[in-house]
Amino acid sequence: MRGLLKNNIYATLLSGKIFAAFICFAGIIIVGVISQSLLAAYGLIAYGLMGTVGFSVCALIAVKKEFSSKWGKYKLTLPVKRTDIIKSQFWNQLIWLFVGVVFAGTGIGLSWLFHGCLFDQPLDILMLFTLGISVSLLMGALYFPAFYLFGEERGEIILLIALLCAFGLDCMLVGIINNLFAPGTAAMIIGAAILLLCSLSAFSASCPLTIWVYNRKEY
Amino acid sequence: MENILELRQISKTFPKSNFTLDNLSFSLPYGSIGGFVGENGAGKTTTIGCILNTVKKDSGMVKLFGREMLDTDTDIREKIGVVYDGNNFPDFWTAKHLSRIMAGLYTQWDNALFRQYLEQFHLIPEQKIRNYSRGMTMKLAVATALSHRPQLLILDEATSGLDPVIRDEMLDVFLDFVQDERHSIFLSSHITSDLEKVADYITFLHNGRLLMTVSKNDLVYHYAVMRCKESQFLALDPVDVIAYRKRDFQIDVLVSDREAVCRKYKDVVVDHVSIDEMMLLLVKGEQL
Repeated sequence: MRGLLKNNIYATLLSGKIFAAFICFAGIIIVGVISQSLLAAYGLIAYGLMGTVGFSVCALIAVKKEFSSKWGKYKLTLPVKRTDIIKSQFWNQLIWLFVGVVFAGTGIGLSWLFHGCLFDQPLDILMLFTLGISVSLLMGALYFPAFYLFGEERGEIILLIALLCAFGLDCMLVGIINNLFAPGTAAMIIGAAILLLCSLSAFSASCPLTIWVYNRKEY
Repeated sequence: MENILELRQISKTFPKSNFTLDNLSFSLPYGSIGGFVGENGAGKTTTIGCILNTVKKDSGMVKLFGREMLDTDTDIREKIGVVYDGNNFPDFWTAKHLSRIMAGLYTQWDNALFRQYLEQFHLIPEQKIRNYSRGMTMKLAVATALSHRPQLLILDEATSGLDPVIRDEMLDVFLDFVQDERHSIFLSSHITSDLEKVADYITFLHNGRLLMTVSKNDLVYHYAVMRCKESQFLALDPVDVIAYRKRDFQIDVLVSDREAVCRKYKDVVVDHVSIDEMMLLLVKGEQL
């Protein structure tokens, strides 16, 4: 598993480094310029979502990139089980989600430090991160089984569909939660918990499903 | 003689391409190099896929080190080194990255040995694989396949596209590897001259069917091609003829007992047969 994780991290690093540079630059603009404008809250929302979702996208791009060479096939000849190959990809997704949260958290934290809380209430930050994490998890949950089911050559379009579907599903969930609960702090916390629970469940269920699909794949 | 690799009646059908690997059976003893020859699309890569479980066979049994290898048998895969044709590894890696990853995958990974191979093959560890030439890429793949001290090397067209100098260098490495009698190599190749140099056994495949497996000794000392005129060909005993092929002014006849046919047909020219010629006669020739 250690070697598989290293493999996934190295593969993600290639695009991850570029995205990290971009998110740092965007962070400087957000904290230094946009946080002082009327668009401050929107800027921070965009930055928070970009950070939490962007690194996860990089992790998923890395899965596709492995198939540009024979590495995807070669891996099956290594002393690892197919199950572990898939598990390592799910772990990699979580690692990069964490990296994204750290980057987004740093930017938003610095903005708060220099300019104070630019949201209506601090709890909005929790909702922002919950949404970002939920989109990342749902995207991974949809991407992995579809990627192996429909073929590696369709990786880009599957990623796009997974990302859009994840946003769509989260919007639907938020809408349902807003209809179920009257506005208030408790409702927000419960809503965030439901959002996280749903996406975590989907992510957890996707892993055995992907293993099932991958076990039937031939290279 | 104990076998490191044994295939028993392996079958695999790809309905979309209408290709069938048909009841393939052959074996490779410890301490030997087995060559695997066949035209493009004959089923060589599919067979290797069945051996390595990257392709699921429909029926039959593959035994590696006396055991059938399942996905969970990682201990068997610890003892196998694989080299595919082309880019085995992502081109954005360096040999250094590769070494770190392999160290996390193989319990027996020997970093010092890997560095030694990199030096021997003049490969720069910090250079990205995308900047390697084809020869360098294949050398890296061979170095990687050898650095966890495997017992069985499986090479799928590993020498194709390489210049004769690099190919010769690789063949020396392979011959060195089988000096240990517990080691074996299974090598599929289009370049039959390579197999003539190193292989102990040659397996011929055509359209998913096994034509024959011969030892190189038999190929060199027993198999032969008779160059017959029409009248000489008509006088041949069908029992002696494995396959024949009509050419412009002669008929080439593949025979399995050179000495016997020399004694029996004194006026016919009998030549040694190369793997290429044997392949052509078996694939394109006819049988009596």
